[in-house]
Amino acid sequence: MITQHLPALIILVPLVSAFIILLLGPNYVRFARHTAMAASVVLTVFALLLLLETTQDGTIRYYFGGWQPPWGIELYIDRMTGFFLAIVSSINLLVLVFAAGVLEQEIRERVVAHYYALFLILTTSLLGIAASNDLFNIFVFLEISSVSAAALVAVNGNRYAMEAGVKYLILSTLGSGSVLLAIANIYMVTGYLNLTYIAEALPAAFAQYPLNIVASLGLIMVGLTVKAALYPLHIWLPDAHGSAPTTSSAVLSGLVVKVYIIVFIKFLFRIFPVDFIEIFPIQPNLLVMSTFGILMGSILAIRQTDIKKMLAYSTVAQVGYIFLGLGVLTPNAVIGSMLHILNHAIMKTILFLSAGCIIKLTGIREVNRLEGVGRVYPLPMAAFSLGALAMIGIPPLNGFVSKWYLGLGALDADQPFFVLIILVSSFLNGLYYLPIVIRSFFGREPRFSEIKVLPIGARFTLTALAVAIVVFGLFSALPVGYLEPAVEQLFAG
Amino acid sequence: MRDLIVRVIARFIIPFIQVYGLYIVLYGHVSPGGGFAGGTVMASSLILYVMAFGARSEKRRLPEWVARSIESAGAVFFVAIGLVSLFQGTTFLANQAAGFPMGIPGRVFSAGAIFLLTFGIGMKVFSTMITLFTHLIEEEEKEGTG
Repeated sequence: MITQHLPALIILVPLVSAFIILLLGPNYVRFARHTAMAASVVLTVFALLLLLETTQDGTIRYYFGGWQPPWGIELYIDRMTGFFLAIVSSINLLVLVFAAGVLEQEIRERVVAHYYALFLILTTSLLGIAASNDLFNIFVFLEISSVSAAALVAVNGNRYAMEAGVKYLILSTLGSGSVLLAIANIYMVTGYLNLTYIAEALPAAFAQYPLNIVASLGLIMVGLTVKAALYPLHIWLPDAHGSAPTTSSAVLSGLVVKVYIIVFIKFLFRIFPVDFIEIFPIQPNLLVMSTFGILMGSILAIRQTDIKKMLAYSTVAQVGYIFLGLGVLTPNAVIGSMLHILNHAIMKTILFLSAGCIIKLTGIREVNRLEGVGRVYPLPMAAFSLGALAMIGIPPLNGFVSKWYLGLGALDADQPFFVLIILVSSFLNGLYYLPIVIRSFFGREPRFSEIKVLPIGARFTLTALAVAIVVFGLFSALPVGYLEPAVEQLFAG
Repeated sequence: MRDLIVRVIARFIIPFIQVYGLYIVLYGHVSPGGGFAGGTVMASSLILYVMAFGARSEKRRLPEWVARSIESAGAVFFVAIGLVSLFQGTTFLANQAAGFPMGIPGRVFSAGAIFLLTFGIGMKVFSTMITLFTHLIEEEEKEGTG
């Protein structure tokens, strides 16, 4: 009985748990932590079940209230969505395990319970965006995600976090606004909000109202690239991800930025057929923006002295990779993009979490003062190094696999230039990650007045993520085997 | 804000606003309006109260934790109504199919789950408006005194 309701339950479980936490109020911190953890465990199980189900049936549809589309609201989980739901829920669980024992030291006691609730609401919105097949529903979840993400940035309450949060909120709302305008335009000319029906009605609507559709494509592109922080529109990201609490940064960088790319993929493949896309200059635009993003993100990261800011700029470059695959638009390149969504989620989460640990243990934020830290605190620094090596794309680790597929995709499209870009960017990545790794392990051992111990949850999460990096690098056939039919499904429309 | 006229008028008009708000919530499924509009109207009565009598006495009437609980309870209530249909073997938020009594169209107690859902939305919107307003007021007071 329960399996047929999984698509709805996956959204409801975190939502209800968040409101139960809020119902009890800020004094029940332990209860909030346990509820959040339990909700995430249930969520992860559900998401993995859905993932299995998509491998058998292909696409799962769920109609709210039993109303058939186009009247009712539909949840639509294809392989691509199932993949993303599994990533969101498992990373969410790992970050929550990490948060236990660390979070209380980073934010005020009074807001810890609310933080858990906000975190679950953010997860709800991410899952909802991915699973929904209804444009207006997607917009509502987009709004929930921008508001809750901005709150998760500003939760520290210090001046920098506040400023970053407000900046993020404004730009993100601007992005939602233009997505809303695009949705309104599409609804106006097709008369549907359901993606499947829009795709059917679009060719006729395009013959009659071409300008509305061109405008909505442009608005979608701008709106979603602002929210996903593609290069020239990335200005909010380094501040927001750099000054947020550790767990927020990890989720914001690892998951939130990706969900907008998932929405973009939905628009690209589900609404606008591929031959339709070729009429408009979307691909060239994406290619230019992502090329600059990959290079400039890395170059700007080299100049940073603050470790979290550096990681944030690295996210700008990695978002460029994912959009590069969508710009090249060959099956292999799209597989590369999807793989990079997974791999970057793992790598960036481990990097942000271990950097957060290092900052908490040593009090050092500056990159060049990390000398010898790895000798005193081997676990977080080893986790950081593993993440950094994977980010550069050293072969047995997972970062290499997605870069490999992106490169293959670029070659399929007869555009070897982008392979060069990926290579150059990998060298640039090495330029800012490797000195930290080398200095921290081979530098002079520093003297700390006291040696602190990491909570067990933090150690568990870092280890699990490190294992995931190696496993998804060595057994890359696992995700690739799942993604090949997924991408086929996307290209089939 | 010690204006006698404002206080007398407010005391006179607040019950009417509240009844009207409740009316819009309860008749949400048969006439224009619904949970959101009705909840806002209900909240506006309390905002008027704060303007006439000050935030302190409003806090006594509706403590913050009550407002917060109503807010979360509204959301949980909404989802709970939706979940009823799962146990009846249909999909989330199903109405007639889940066995909610439909009643006679046009009557107040009709339309099954919609009636209850509107009520849940009304609760949530009402208390959210109040909490937002009191938070803004608090900020101002803090800045004024500190």
